[in-house]
Amino acid sequence: MFKKNLTLKIILFLVFSDILETFTQFCFKKSALSQSGIDIRIFSDIFNFLLGAFSSWFLWLGLLSVLLTFVVWSTVLSKIDLSVAVPVASFSYILIPLVSIIFLQEKISLLRWSGIFFILIGVIFVSLSSKERQDSLE
Amino acid sequence: MKEGLTFIFFLIVLTSICDTINQLFLKSAINSLSLSSPITIIKIIKFIIELTMIPRVWISFLFSVLSLCIWLFVLSKVDLNFAFSIDSMHYIFIAFASRHILKEKVGFKRWFGTISIIIGIILVSLS
Repeated sequence: MFKKNLTLKIILFLVFSDILETFTQFCFKKSALSQSGIDIRIFSDIFNFLLGAFSSWFLWLGLLSVLLTFVVWSTVLSKIDLSVAVPVASFSYILIPLVSIIFLQEKISLLRWSGIFFILIGVIFVSLSSKERQDSLE
Repeated sequence: MKEGLTFIFFLIVLTSICDTINQLFLKSAINSLSLSSPITIIKIIKFIIELTMIPRVWISFLFSVLSLCIWLFVLSKVDLNFAFSIDSMHYIFIAFASRHILKEKVGFKRWFGTISIIIGIILVSLS
């Protein structure tokens, strides 16, 4: 028997941080899309781009979401290894298509299903490898 | 177009590296604290306040802001699914860094799982 340190509570926290992360990405994409007209060639263009992006309220919503994600993510990291937390967080790649099927009636292609399958197998293996965290406090 | 794509590719890799450094600093700061087991809201708040006192966390923030700026630029140029499939290599960086810098034990199962996740993400992104 392996000692599991990945409790249900931790998994719930991870899923919650996944949902926040997805929301953050959505907001950032929205704010970046509003700036797609700018062609970046020199340094001042980058500045203009950022100025434009920061004037979009989606970006600020995204930043708020980042802050919340930080709190949740830190709590998770205090309990499990980084090399477990990061791969298991990829659960959102499964979550989003599932939500799309159930709530948005989207069709999922065979290629995407196989991708979901690979991620699921990966998450299970990484979770199984999670043993009691060695106390690095010494 | 071709050279533009190479540049974007380079930027995405740079984001991955920044993200990895960000996670490393955060995790090493968190390792120096401890959050005792029954997790309550009050304990979490105390833990976060203690955490923000550690300079390493601010270095971590710096890298995450840097990563965010590059990422925003990348997203304005290419599709999210293309960006994500290349960004998935950040799992490899994390696994290596966790093993060599944080001295976590990354065994066969964990490597197998991580690589399987990367394959999955690329498949999901491409479809």
